[in-house]
Amino acid sequence: MMADVPESPFLNLAIPPHVKMIYLDHGATSFPKPQEVYELMDTFYRRAGVNPGRSGFDLCLEAGSFVDETRRLLCAFFGGTDPNRLVFGHNSTDALNLAIFGLIGKGDHVVTTHLEHNSCLRPIRTLQEDEGVEVDWVDFDDAGYVDPGEVVHRFKKNTRAVVMNHASNVIGTVQDVAPIGNACRERGIHLVLDASQSAGVVPVKMDDLGADVVCFTGHKSLMGPMGVGGMYVREGVEIRQTRAGGTGVESARRRHLERYPYRMEYGTPNLPGIAGLNAGVKWVNRLGLGAIHAHEMALWKTLRDGLSAIEGVTLHGQEPGGGERIGVLSFNVDGLEAMDTGTMLDVDSNIACRTGLHCAPMVHRHLGTDEIHGSVRFGIGPFNDREHIEKAVSAVAEIAASRRGGPVCTRV
Amino acid sequence: MPTVEYAGRSLQVNEQGFIVRPEEWDEDVARFLARTAEGIEELTSDHWAIIRFIREHYLAHRRAPMVRAVCRTTGLHLKRIYQLFPSGPAKGACKVAGLPKPDGCV
Repeated sequence: MMADVPESPFLNLAIPPHVKMIYLDHGATSFPKPQEVYELMDTFYRRAGVNPGRSGFDLCLEAGSFVDETRRLLCAFFGGTDPNRLVFGHNSTDALNLAIFGLIGKGDHVVTTHLEHNSCLRPIRTLQEDEGVEVDWVDFDDAGYVDPGEVVHRFKKNTRAVVMNHASNVIGTVQDVAPIGNACRERGIHLVLDASQSAGVVPVKMDDLGADVVCFTGHKSLMGPMGVGGMYVREGVEIRQTRAGGTGVESARRRHLERYPYRMEYGTPNLPGIAGLNAGVKWVNRLGLGAIHAHEMALWKTLRDGLSAIEGVTLHGQEPGGGERIGVLSFNVDGLEAMDTGTMLDVDSNIACRTGLHCAPMVHRHLGTDEIHGSVRFGIGPFNDREHIEKAVSAVAEIAASRRGGPVCTRV
Repeated sequence: MPTVEYAGRSLQVNEQGFIVRPEEWDEDVARFLARTAEGIEELTSDHWAIIRFIREHYLAHRRAPMVRAVCRTTGLHLKRIYQLFPSGPAKGACKVAGLPKPDGCV
């Protein structure tokens, strides 16, 4: 007999279903997902939710084949040549940890930037403090771009890797990675690229960028669910194992397997997550990166133009001159902490955004927004439209006016 | 622990000025905290509607209400609440209402 299970308090959602929220937090995670993502996760997991590749029965083989199909799909997406070098993990942080701790060690030097997310910053600082790894931090300019020449200029005899993000999660600038990657390959230095924000919205091709390792998460612009991500590791790059465990094959071996994908995969994979990611990537491929990016950047331009015209609103990293961007924009309303602006947007206007340091404290130190507890970030996604952006601009204008002592609508 | 002196009374507060023992709160304390912490010389009926709702919710549930609930119950837009309490509902209104510093919610 089943015990009575009390209804989860988490299903008592704060926003009633009839209220339409404008979701502008796609930099944190894309939401909602394409319908086929939900459907494939549900149907595949119900029909074939067995441990893939662990046993010999037909359904197990089918589940394993599906995982391999998703490897091929993502391998092609990242311009890889060996699907077995597309390994699954939990997310970008997970993949970056495996790559950073597995490639860099005592006596090494690493170059990174002030644009990084804590998924890079913290592993690198751990190596710096615990192993004495030398670290060079390269700053970005007022437009939000790192000078590739400055990165290369920092190379030393013992430089082991460059670790950097492709697109900033705070100011949305897409870095000119290729010259850095080419210089790395000429010198045998590993380029570890954090593609958390760029994968699914601009091309991320291993050889075009000169990357040795590309780390990705599934739940942002690849439109998959949370809890699945991974990396592609270029041929010839052998990441030292910092974990060990079950692989489902060659169980008699005393040590963890060295061949990919097993080398970098540990324990049962996230099969429903991989199913959702499979559907998400196919959805992205069907729409096309160019169309998705063009849509989001058209909205971003409307947003930037609208916000920059509001008195008392400061945009960050939006100086002219620079290259490509993604649909992320950070700002502050004068006289308000970011969290307060975000709460007003949420409660008064049903607009969801991200506030704070965005796990990228060095960006805010550079911008001078660390002491005011960060910025407000709008992240645009494929399901946003012009009306969403216009409402967001109006809402920010009302907030800014209220801080200037202007009239506000007082009653709900 | 720091204290503030008020009308011959000594109130314990944390480092951010929230009173430590909510049972020491009364409406005179609210007026005192409003004046000293938020620069509010006179509490209006809108101020009191917010203060009373937050306080009643806290006494019933031992936690501050969600911001949405404050707006829904008082009928006030959040921007208006920020005009009434310049530090906002969490740092301003909750402090005047004699709550400990809220973790999340308001």
